[in-house]
Amino acid sequence: MLNRLRHRLLHRMQLRESWVIFFIMGIIMMNFPFLHIFNRSDTIFGFPLLFLYLFIGWAVSICVICLFIIATVQTDPARHDAKNP
Amino acid sequence: MITGFAHAASISLLYLLLIFLIALYAHRRRLSGRSIVDNPYVYSLSIAVYCTSWTFYGSVGKAATTGIDFLLIYLGPSLTAFSWMFLLRRIIRISKENNITSIADFISLRYGKSLWLGALVTLIAIFGIMPYIALQIKAVSTSFYLISGLTGSGINLPVSGNGLFLPTGMLLAVILSVFSIIFGARKLVSSERHEGLIAAVAFESIVKLLSLVTVGIFVTYQLFDGFSDIFARFRAAYPQQFNTLFTLGGDGSKTASIPPFSMLFLSMGAIMLLPRQFHVMVIENSSEHHVTKAMWMFPVYLFLINIFVMPIALGGILTTGSSSGADFFVISLPLATGHTGVAMLAFLGGLSAAAGMVMVESVTISTMLLNHIFMPVIVRFTPQSWFPHLLINLKRLGIILVIFLGYFYYHLIGDSFMLVNMGLISFSAAAQFMPAMLGGLYWRRGNKTGAIAGILSGFLTWFYTLLIPSFSHSGWISSELLSSGPFGIALLRPTALFGLDGMDIWSHSLFWSMLFNISGYLIFSTLLHQDEQERDQVRKFILAYDFERRHQRTEVKRLSKPVTVSQFVSLMTKFIGPIEAQRAIETYHGGRDTGNDSNVSEFDLPNLKRFTEKTLAGSVGAAAAGAIVDSFLSDMGSRMESVYDIFSTVRTSLDQSRESLSVRLKASEIINRTLDLHIIMDDLLNLLLSEFKLDVAIIQLKAEDGTFPVKSYQGSDRRPISDNHWFMESRAYCRMAIDDHLPHFINDTELIANTVEFTNIRSEGIVSCAHIPIFREGEPALGVISLYSKSIVGLFTEEFISLLSSLAGQLAQAVTIVCEMDAKEAERIQKERALLENARVLRDMEIAQQIQMSLLPDAPPEYSGMDIAGRCISAAHVGGDYYDFIHRDDRTIDLMIADVSGHSVGAALIMAEARTLLRAQIGSSHSASAILQNLNRQLYDDLTRAELFITMFYATYNTATGRLSYANAGHNHPMICRSGESSCIELDAEGLIIGVRPSVIFEERSIELHSGDILIFYTDGLTEATNPAGEFFGNERVCMMLSTVGHLSAHNIIDSFYSALTEFCESDTFQDDVSMVVLKIL
Repeated sequence: MLNRLRHRLLHRMQLRESWVIFFIMGIIMMNFPFLHIFNRSDTIFGFPLLFLYLFIGWAVSICVICLFIIATVQTDPARHDAKNP
Repeated sequence: MITGFAHAASISLLYLLLIFLIALYAHRRRLSGRSIVDNPYVYSLSIAVYCTSWTFYGSVGKAATTGIDFLLIYLGPSLTAFSWMFLLRRIIRISKENNITSIADFISLRYGKSLWLGALVTLIAIFGIMPYIALQIKAVSTSFYLISGLTGSGINLPVSGNGLFLPTGMLLAVILSVFSIIFGARKLVSSERHEGLIAAVAFESIVKLLSLVTVGIFVTYQLFDGFSDIFARFRAAYPQQFNTLFTLGGDGSKTASIPPFSMLFLSMGAIMLLPRQFHVMVIENSSEHHVTKAMWMFPVYLFLINIFVMPIALGGILTTGSSSGADFFVISLPLATGHTGVAMLAFLGGLSAAAGMVMVESVTISTMLLNHIFMPVIVRFTPQSWFPHLLINLKRLGIILVIFLGYFYYHLIGDSFMLVNMGLISFSAAAQFMPAMLGGLYWRRGNKTGAIAGILSGFLTWFYTLLIPSFSHSGWISSELLSSGPFGIALLRPTALFGLDGMDIWSHSLFWSMLFNISGYLIFSTLLHQDEQERDQVRKFILAYDFERRHQRTEVKRLSKPVTVSQFVSLMTKFIGPIEAQRAIETYHGGRDTGNDSNVSEFDLPNLKRFTEKTLAGSVGAAAAGAIVDSFLSDMGSRMESVYDIFSTVRTSLDQSRESLSVRLKASEIINRTLDLHIIMDDLLNLLLSEFKLDVAIIQLKAEDGTFPVKSYQGSDRRPISDNHWFMESRAYCRMAIDDHLPHFINDTELIANTVEFTNIRSEGIVSCAHIPIFREGEPALGVISLYSKSIVGLFTEEFISLLSSLAGQLAQAVTIVCEMDAKEAERIQKERALLENARVLRDMEIAQQIQMSLLPDAPPEYSGMDIAGRCISAAHVGGDYYDFIHRDDRTIDLMIADVSGHSVGAALIMAEARTLLRAQIGSSHSASAILQNLNRQLYDDLTRAELFITMFYATYNTATGRLSYANAGHNHPMICRSGESSCIELDAEGLIIGVRPSVIFEERSIELHSGDILIFYTDGLTEATNPAGEFFGNERVCMMLSTVGHLSAHNIIDSFYSALTEFCESDTFQDDVSMVVLKIL
């Protein structure tokens, strides 16, 4: 079950559309409405809210890229074969 | 003070020496084939050249003054990494295929190798990068003062008693120039990859990351007690400032803070479009596969280098008490707390950041300068032996120029700007490339005019709204321009263009420049067309990735005069030096065994030309390379002519050349002029021979027996086609063309002579030949056109073959039409003949019918006491029924009725024979049985042969005695209807059908007839007639009918029978012959 979910997730991530969606999502997250939500001087565990938002968001985005790359690397051999028979 | 200086200077120089050694080592490793640069880690680290002293010093400064929004400069590139999978990889692939040297080269190549565009992009890059280099110089010299403890703006060296004053900035610029030249322009190479430089940059990236992280850890954990501690203490000490720094635009002063979107947009563009970024990411990329690793490693690098920026900034403010001089907290903070070691490490980090950036940037831009500004001028001169020296020195000059422009800007602006704000000016300039770049990659219509218009207007807007205002701080430009606009026109104030004020200058400039840039690009691209060369490039840049390429591109141009390989080598030598040129030509030949000084065969030359262009493109840029090779060839009197000057190109639909059209037009004239296929073929071949200077042309067409005989043969030295004819050797090719529907051509018979038996063809002097199948799409081939040339090797280019194929298609159309017309004509003639035949038969039949009718008695004989009538109606023209009355004497009459099986002409003939024989017997035989017996004997052979037989009823009536004696040969029984009796008497006698056995005895019977008796003889056509329900007319109906019509005359009785039969059958025609003879005794 978990394996199948993982497989499906990786498959979806090979699509160019997924890349574009995440790219646009990133741009939206870095712009006015979302930034506005976190644009406060409050602190959580002593860390400023915006500081946490930006850095955690950044880390998450890097993880997403890693996921994408895992997805493409998994299928790349097949694609490679198809191109160079 | 002097010791501090000496200390700092010596460490700096030692460090630079280390970097140089690393670069040298990388270069050596590359030469020995074991590159240390060719891996994704070095690639990712080299991309980190993005982090300059701006990141190193400026980020902290910005964090301490405007707060956390400095992060957006790094979040943008991190986001852009999402697109690298497609965008960057595509750019890399295109660049590698075309040997692109810089972003200017890339953009100019996409828009039809435009020289103007390349120059424009270079110009923007030079101006745009000026503030950025200034930033580095400022950062390094300031940090140098800090670390060495010097004050003032220069160093006084006691030379020969007189103090020599050296400004540090100038000194730094000189040192950086020297290093850049050493790394990037020691010699002119054919490829723009500098592994040594990249290794140095990667090493510097490690140093700057380590040093910033060390300072960060030092500040966070040594001076303070972790992140939370710094945040908490800062909040307690400066609550107001805390709010400002940790919110966006929190301080309310709008003009000072830049909206997150502008920063994000600028940084996203900068990571790809800054010349040095393009250089390290695209040009220096050694494998496309490195991109996937870099996609996450580069963001991780950015993440790590930024994580301590905020703590350092806050710590700096807490320690020094203010945010002034925050740009250099990284150094000043350790210094202030007495940790000179950490400070020195920080200084080296900053130096690394600055040096790496300046070196890559200056080398990149000097390459652009050389290729796009100097080169177009140089190529106008004839290549000279000292050209390599000129070129390399021009490149060195370019590096110095770039760095000193930066220094000049720094000198002018001085300390009036913060580091980050200087850098953003450069980012804005780089953003001007974005529309042309992205449009060039994904938008087919994007054209040269659009790109030039867009980039130029964007650049001018940037220059006016951003660069000029930046000078105003230095007082170099009067502040009046900013406050009241040029000539007092307030609407044109650079920082509030068209009255748009209240915006920060970066967003303001970004908005206007992008507006003009994008709209200029879109409008001109939409309004104007691309020229041929641009379309060619669009195919390379866009279409090549939309569709899978099936064929290798072949050159569409050919040389009109032979050139040797060594001439190309010497041309290359002039630009890249003899060793590189020799190496290049060796790569070109690769496995092929072609002599170096030989003439290259004509179809190889275009490829060599392309290769030479590509090789030269490595050092002088694609546009210039094309111009160089072309001018070289034209100097040699061997101009590259478009192929269609000689042949014509059939690049369907859009761009058919005039020549191709004229040949096609002539061909269709020939084809439409006549329907005589032989004339068409002869004329077409002669057209090909004369238009293309071929020597022999042959057409074979499919014959009905499946062979392909020669139908037309034109050209010189014609000999009758026989098995010994040289043409027979190419039969196999013809056969292949017919079978696979593909043109087969041999561009040099010499080359394939080893594998194919071509003795006769070669001794005939033929050097190239082609076999084009004649077929219509989806139909089997109708034949093949074979063309032979005795003079031109490599005649059959792709364009030519496709023209020939289309002509063959036209011919196939004509052949099909002619064949169809022939077939139709034949069919028509056959039909006509059949009709004629039919008519003749019909006429014969009509004659036969008439004759047959005339054989029947035309009128019954007249006897007293009896009324007699007979009639026959044939189903066909002629029939087998027969009746007769034979007058013997005044009282005796013979009546007979017969039916020959079938109603063919044969039956009619037999009937005629039977009649003749019958008539002949009347004299000799008297009895009916004897007559039948004789008749059977005489007819037997004929009937057996014709496979026919006869039924016959023969009766002799004596009017005096009233006796009817009769014999029957299997015929239907005649009926007698006696007045007063309801039933009929059927007359029967023993006897076989005539023609079954050679001798048959017929029984003879007799019956006495009385007055009022009606005797009816009939054939089976009457009783066996069927109505639509399938019922027979039947004997009963005949009998009943007979009793009801007894009062009528014999003639009318027959009439009534016929009408009754017609009524019964519900049809005017009968299936069988119907004959009746009625005898009425009065």
